[in-house]
Amino acid sequence: MKSINFKDLKSPLFIAWQINSVCNLECLHCCEEAGQSIPGEMNREEIFNFLKQVVNLHIPYVALSGGEPLLHPYFFSICEFLRKDNISLKVETNGEFIDEEKAKKIAQLRFRSVQVSLDGATAYSHERLRLRGNWNKVVSSLRILIKEGVNTEIVFVPTKFNIGEIGQLIDLAYSLGVYGVYTGKIMRIGRAAQNWEILCPSEKDYEYFFKSLNEKIAHYDGRMKVYYYPYDVLEELKYRLKFPAASLLVLPNGKVKLIGPLPFICGDLKKDTLEQVWENYKKAWQNPKVIKFAKEVIAQPRLLAEANRWREI
Amino acid sequence: MNFTEHVKIREEKFGAVIFETLREKVFVTNKSGKEILNLLNQGYSLEKIVDSLTDNYSATDRQIIKNDVVSFIEQLKENNLLISNSITQ
Repeated sequence: MKSINFKDLKSPLFIAWQINSVCNLECLHCCEEAGQSIPGEMNREEIFNFLKQVVNLHIPYVALSGGEPLLHPYFFSICEFLRKDNISLKVETNGEFIDEEKAKKIAQLRFRSVQVSLDGATAYSHERLRLRGNWNKVVSSLRILIKEGVNTEIVFVPTKFNIGEIGQLIDLAYSLGVYGVYTGKIMRIGRAAQNWEILCPSEKDYEYFFKSLNEKIAHYDGRMKVYYYPYDVLEELKYRLKFPAASLLVLPNGKVKLIGPLPFICGDLKKDTLEQVWENYKKAWQNPKVIKFAKEVIAQPRLLAEANRWREI
Repeated sequence: MNFTEHVKIREEKFGAVIFETLREKVFVTNKSGKEILNLLNQGYSLEKIVDSLTDNYSATDRQIIKNDVVSFIEQLKENNLLISNSITQ
């Protein structure tokens, strides 16, 4: 078995789909600046036209996020459609809208996983970061999902407010019975870029973080997955300039973004077929404008603030 | 022999992609690998896979084909892509 070149693939291997922009929370570190719906979000017909193409192109894996995906009126219809064709499905949620009935439905549909954001081992730090969030509700949702046998993961974003709680959070995750805990450096995009000074942990904070994290990784080895994503947003961008991912990032309005940290749009699923968008995506990574801007972003990280001001290429 | 729950296989011009979506790991194989994957998917045993490939590649010695198939299947198992009770299954 050998290594992969994304250009050789007939279609993406993964679709990260922000199905809506609406969210009940106003997290200080939200990459998408979610809150209100954005103009032109895909309607039912456009959504199912897109989904049929996902199935026909044999795309094996889809992740739904938002906004808050459970607030989408067709959330379960979308999930049922994808799972009917045995497409792996991950849902990234703030965990505020999961009750027993929904957890049962999710369990029946056998999602790959439900990934719940829990940004603290205590209500205080979680709710300080996730404005209007309810830590108790999220922990209760985790319990319900796990009780129903759903493969459940926790995502934790370290910030000045919560970085000291990583060890406690991993212990909590284990006591709840989650499949895994995922963490990585905070991404300087969207609202996180606007709040960078108050959010970004210091080097000393990170030293403590990695020490605790590595202790917990060793402690739970073989019992629970604890995964640290090793790239920050700029390192990821540098890497992707050389090795673009075999994936597409679909926005709620059907536009397709090249990658989170760059503002470039390489297609519109309301007008273009998914196949066309995939070809555009492959070409876009060689577009001099893209390469030039990406290098500028790497040299001047403040330009990451442009990430959500979309530009067509 | 069965593929593990989160394994997705997709045919490509060069062969096939195997995507283990739980661990988010991607593997790539050539056209011969794709043929073996197809036969595994149809529930063929090791011996039946070797028979089928020997019929298709008549110029190649059966034992050489068998060694390649065993090695390929072992790789699938080592990467937790395939489960079976025994290699002769």
